[in-house]
Amino acid sequence: MFLALKEIKHEKLRYGLIIGMIMLISYLVFVLTGLSQGLAQQNTAAIKSWNAKQIVLNKNANVNLTQSLITQKASQQLKLTATEAYVGQASVVAKKSGLAKESAQFIGLESNQFIAQHLQLTSGHWAKNQQQLVVNQSFKTAGYKLGDHLKLNSSKTNYQIVGFTKNATLSIAPVIYGQLATWQQLKNLNNSFKTSAIVSQKANYQTSASDLKAYPIKTFINKLPGYSAQNLTFTFMIAFLMVISLIVIAVFLYILTIQKIQNYAVLRAQGVPAQFLIRATLAQAFLLVLVGIIIAAGLTVLTSLIIPAGTPMTFNLPLLSGIAGGLILMALFGALIPIWTITKIDPITAIGG
Amino acid sequence: MASQNLLEMQQINKVFGSGLSKVHVLHDINFSAAAGHLNLILGPSGSGKSTFLTIAGGLQAPTNGQVIIAGQSLAALSAKQRDNLRLKQIGFVLQSYNLLPYLNVSDQFSLVDRIKPNNNLSAAKLKKLLKELDIAELIAKYPAELSGGQNQRVAIARALYPNPAIILADEPTAALDSQRVEQVGQLFANLAHNEKKAVIIVTHDLRLKKFADQINEISDGHLQQTIVND
Ligand SMILES: Nc1ncnc2c1ncn2[C@@H]1O[C@H](COP(=O)(O)OP(=O)(O)O)[C@@H](O)[C@H]1O
Ligand SMILES: [Mg+2]
Repeated sequence: MFLALKEIKHEKLRYGLIIGMIMLISYLVFVLTGLSQGLAQQNTAAIKSWNAKQIVLNKNANVNLTQSLITQKASQQLKLTATEAYVGQASVVAKKSGLAKESAQFIGLESNQFIAQHLQLTSGHWAKNQQQLVVNQSFKTAGYKLGDHLKLNSSKTNYQIVGFTKNATLSIAPVIYGQLATWQQLKNLNNSFKTSAIVSQKANYQTSASDLKAYPIKTFINKLPGYSAQNLTFTFMIAFLMVISLIVIAVFLYILTIQKIQNYAVLRAQGVPAQFLIRATLAQAFLLVLVGIIIAAGLTVLTSLIIPAGTPMTFNLPLLSGIAGGLILMALFGALIPIWTITKIDPITAIGG
Repeated sequence: MASQNLLEMQQINKVFGSGLSKVHVLHDINFSAAAGHLNLILGPSGSGKSTFLTIAGGLQAPTNGQVIIAGQSLAALSAKQRDNLRLKQIGFVLQSYNLLPYLNVSDQFSLVDRIKPNNNLSAAKLKKLLKELDIAELIAKYPAELSGGQNQRVAIARALYPNPAIILADEPTAALDSQRVEQVGQLFANLAHNEKKAVIIVTHDLRLKKFADQINEISDGHLQQTIVND
């Protein structure tokens, strides 16, 4: 630590630059992680809030809620208990004069089933008739208030916001909850269609209905449009940045070690064990990345404070700590090449001139 | 005075390369250095002085022959044991790169404390040494801020700080003016005579002759006649 610190203190510009570089990479990794988490959350928050384990969809819907319609007849073949609920989904645009249009996901529920029963409201009450809606908190930031009237799509009906709820987002859009009958209205469906899907809190819920199929919620989430592709993209970017941080540390420490070879050879000639020099190099890699990460973490906190509400960014401390640990590990790996160089130094090189 | 041989070299040969590029640098060298003596080895550039000194200090092995330090044959020691021997018994003053550029003079000594915590010079003794070398006021300076001569004197202090029994110095006066040569020569002589160190200096600097107890000349790899000053 002594040598590592003394050298960093003496070569401030050099080490400042490398810390800056590590800091930028770490910051990028943190922000990308936050973004990937935020997007994942906005894709799935509503579904996760239901605590469902299985979802029954039309077998031909390609595991896609938007494509799924379940007929009255098919739904009657299912046994529904307190752990099952209908979910009718429709993509809608909410309009109120004076406010910007909001694209949203309408979810129609039966008032007496578990989702509506357990819906966590932050204010107001559950929809008591077909004109009443419970909307995601984000509508508040958009300027909507309790009791406000709004229109959905091109229907003439005047709907009213009677409640707000948290964590209601689906496919990166806010959710508007209402009655299942409202869903039928919005979709212009007659009574022969019952719902888009049926969710169950039982992991083993199955159906024998010929044109229905039950899927685990996990499968369903992974099949959400763009969801897996998005996660994969982020994972790749983060992994590449990790590798880049490894290479940056490796190249930098390697060049510095090469420049110090004559000095190290003299130290070795004077009996300084290679171990001591290796520890100094490891300590340096560790310090550089640690300082870089701490500054990046500070910047990330600042970022989380100033990003506008609604930006899909979620900072999950355990995950970010894990990533920071990964970056530190990468730095220590990056030190392996310079360390290998140190072990190869022959003290005889010290004769010089 | 019965003197004890701290370092002994027996029938040392050193050959570099093979075939046409073969160079026989050292020939059948027998040498011994006793505690309390300053040994000067004189020779022109390229005569094999550095090779001699590095073999004496265990930095490289002779092609044949053996080096015995404090009764132990170097060939019988592992690389780690040789490191440890150099750390504790030998003070090397090399021709260049003796000081780490990012440590100030004072930290060059702190570094030694971290590697070898025991039996280094006391603070008072170090201070005295720095005064003798006229570098006491340079303690906060970095090597790049020192002249060649100052650098060399700090390097000498650095080599003496671990209080080694044997001092091996390669051209320690190369960058010094005559007045400094007097000082440094006297310092090495005192180390030998008062502190009972075995001091071996290889050099082409004839100004050091008068401080030596024993002078050898090396030419074309042969160690020649021994002149003893008394
Ligand atoms: N590693 C080596 N490989 C080949 N030749 C060497 C090597 N080291 C030294 N020599 C040769 O040995 C001779 C003596 O070198 P050296 O001991 O450095 O002399 P000095 O220190 O007296 O100037 C020189 O001719 C040099 O070229
Ligand atoms: Mg030489």
